Amino acid sequence: MKNLDSVFAAYLFAWGIFFVYYLSVARRASALRDELKQLKDSLNRGK
Amino acid sequence: MALLSNTAVLLGKELRTEFRSRELLTTTVVFILIVVVLFSFTFDPTSAESRRFAGSLLWLAFLFAASLMLQPCFLREQNNDTLSALRLSVSDPFTIFVAKLAANTLFLLLTELLMLPVFSILFNVPICPVFGRLVLVLFLGSLGVSIAGTALSAVSAQARMRELLLPLLLLPLLTPVLVASTQVTVGLLDAQPFMEWKGIEFLVVFDVVFFTALWLLGEYLLEE
Amino acid sequence: MAKHALGSAIVVLLLVAAAYGAFFIAPTDVKQGLIYRILFLHVSSAWAGLTAFFICFVGNLMYVWRRAPQWDWLGTSAAEVGLAFTTVVLVTGPIWAHPVWGIWWTWDARLTSTFVLWLLYVSYLLLRTLVEEPDRRALFSALFGIFAFLDVPLVFGSIRWWRTQHPQPVVMGGPGTGLDPTMWKVLFFSWMAMLALMTLLLLARYKLEAMRGDLDIVRREAEAA
Repeated sequence: MKNLDSVFAAYLFAWGIFFVYYLSVARRASALRDELKQLKDSLNRGK
Repeated sequence: MALLSNTAVLLGKELRTEFRSRELLTTTVVFILIVVVLFSFTFDPTSAESRRFAGSLLWLAFLFAASLMLQPCFLREQNNDTLSALRLSVSDPFTIFVAKLAANTLFLLLTELLMLPVFSILFNVPICPVFGRLVLVLFLGSLGVSIAGTALSAVSAQARMRELLLPLLLLPLLTPVLVASTQVTVGLLDAQPFMEWKGIEFLVVFDVVFFTALWLLGEYLLEE
Repeated sequence: MAKHALGSAIVVLLLVAAAYGAFFIAPTDVKQGLIYRILFLHVSSAWAGLTAFFICFVGNLMYVWRRAPQWDWLGTSAAEVGLAFTTVVLVTGPIWAHPVWGIWWTWDARLTSTFVLWLLYVSYLLLRTLVEEPDRRALFSALFGIFAFLDVPLVFGSIRWWRTQHPQPVVMGGPGTGLDPTMWKVLFFSWMAMLALMTLLLLARYKLEAMRGDLDIVRREAEAA
């Protein structure tokens, strides 16, 4: 079927974009969590 | 009304500041000339085509010039530390915006009117038969550019990379103004000139919407 | 954690169901054949993106009014998520246009307006990186966000008018092409699936922004100590 590959490509690209975005949010969140933990630990050590 | 008289006073100050040195007007006019010349290198301005492109190029040149010309609007106040004095001098901060956008509209209109005959000669498009209607679209377009530009100039003055930020914020926002103004102007510069009133409608709507938004939100733009 | 996994699973299921509907339930289009099925993805993403930008607008208005940081977090999260959906619209547009028209890009009204929309919210996010002071950043981006959203109908309206003056190939089929009832049902379901995805992404992004807010507080404590 002609154009089927275009439709597939569209869906793959779309889901790919959403997945990459979700990963980017998850990665930033984990980096923030680490930094938060580090800061809290150093604060507690200081106290 | 206090608003009108205060605006008049502030507008007078803006005009006096500019006409003392005329640096903004001169540099803007020269910039538009440079842009026009550069444009002419990028395509072949033969008679038939240049009529079609003249209107578009005119507005592109004006937009680029405006996004540079509007930079000093609040930056000047920031650098000279006069913004707080300005804020204290009026009861309604909106007065400051009205004065500045009136001044900016005037300056823009002045540069555009100065450039019109030059453009007419360089691209062989007659403007005399449609001069009145051209001034109308120039006024409405410049007003739209000034309203958005004055508001965003207050934002960019307090940010980093302000020279790049103002065009970045302003130009996408002004898309409707560019589209509508260009359509009207192209119609007026056509071999058989005609008036696109729909475009004028869009410009009026844009001006009203953003003027109202500025009226409602202007004080927050000038918050300490 | 479990709630989050369940939520993600539901969203994935909805997306798969929407894709199934697009491929197998919706009937074939007479004019465009198979390729039109991109519509279910393209249009539902566009609507979900606009919904996200509307949420951003609400967040912006509420921030200017209330000044609670949570509204700023909502605004910026919604803007980013909206941008993700708008990117999908801009990518699927050319994928659709190329087999039908032989060109990758056509300055048709909807694609052009979507491009401007995309640029507006990219500027919104860029503005945020260029204002250092957090309260000022929140206020200024909220104000610009309000201007940007007010501009959206004007952008779409003026570009559509411009395009009626200078017609171009229309990506989604011009006047006269309609959707039959089954197609509308599939489209509506796709939109619901996209809204579910939007909610999931928005929640995740909001949590990230809330964490950043917490981090600022802890950092200030650490500096004071």
